[in-house]
Amino acid sequence: MRRVAIIQGEHRVMAEPGVMLTTVLGSCVAVCLHDSTAKVGGMNHFLLGEPTPGQEVRSEDMQRYGIHAMELLINDMMHSGAKRERLCGHVYGGANIIAGLGSIGSSNAAFALRFMEMEAIPIRHRDLGGNQARKVEFLPFDGKVRSIKVNDVPPVQKPQRIAGNDLELF
Amino acid sequence: MPAASAIRVMVVDDQTSMRAMIRRTLQDLGFRDVRDKASATEALEAVRADRVHLIISDYNMPEMDGLQFLQEVRKDAVIGKTVFIMLTASAEKEIVQKAAEMGVNNYVVKPFAPAALKEKIERVFGALT
Repeated sequence: MRRVAIIQGEHRVMAEPGVMLTTVLGSCVAVCLHDSTAKVGGMNHFLLGEPTPGQEVRSEDMQRYGIHAMELLINDMMHSGAKRERLCGHVYGGANIIAGLGSIGSSNAAFALRFMEMEAIPIRHRDLGGNQARKVEFLPFDGKVRSIKVNDVPPVQKPQRIAGNDLELF
Repeated sequence: MPAASAIRVMVVDDQTSMRAMIRRTLQDLGFRDVRDKASATEALEAVRADRVHLIISDYNMPEMDGLQFLQEVRKDAVIGKTVFIMLTASAEKEIVQKAAEMGVNNYVVKPFAPAALKEKIERVFGALT
């Protein structure tokens, strides 16, 4: 079994047997999507915008990161043959384990659940919240997934700032 | 200076949450008449039946993508001159260049801050009130 590790800010879509997508989550969230007809699966690993002490980040701004992370995953799923109406998902992470980050884990988890509901993607399995990190292992071809509580807390990186536009054609 | 409230907008994106977010952003910028559709096919039919001043469309959509949608709009004798702003999930140079050749008015790379969308709209319409 080939293992492909996903780190924060990444996503990966695969359609071959014998591959496992893995990630370790603290307060971040990973969404695994699967299309059982096309035998395509994908996983992301993201954190909504991180509020810095004394500086309130509007929840709408935070959601932009999450919506974008989910869009990239869904776009790649569809490029690999998945159909939106056949997608089902698994949602993991969102623990509140890092001092100073407050309840960012809960916000991440709440966002992911709201997103799946809004996009009408059924959730097959979820393991969210708590105060322990998780390791997620996902077989993108079969759609099988499991999460295991672990003691190693992955380092959290600040998410990218909302970028300006790089190309100047206008 | 055009009033944002007088500009009729059609938002097209296959992702419900993205449409809702763009709609909220536009409403915060003063737009009052914002319609939205989940596919280019539906949007094309809607803007042909009831014209808008501005189309904001995602590029990456199943069936008809943003470029095909732009092409359909531009070749239409009635709605051909509608302002068209394309949204892309990443700064894919080829797509942006192709869209420019096909007559797109501007583009925005997601995720975008409200100010970035406002700036792109103002480059076409002038400063909004």
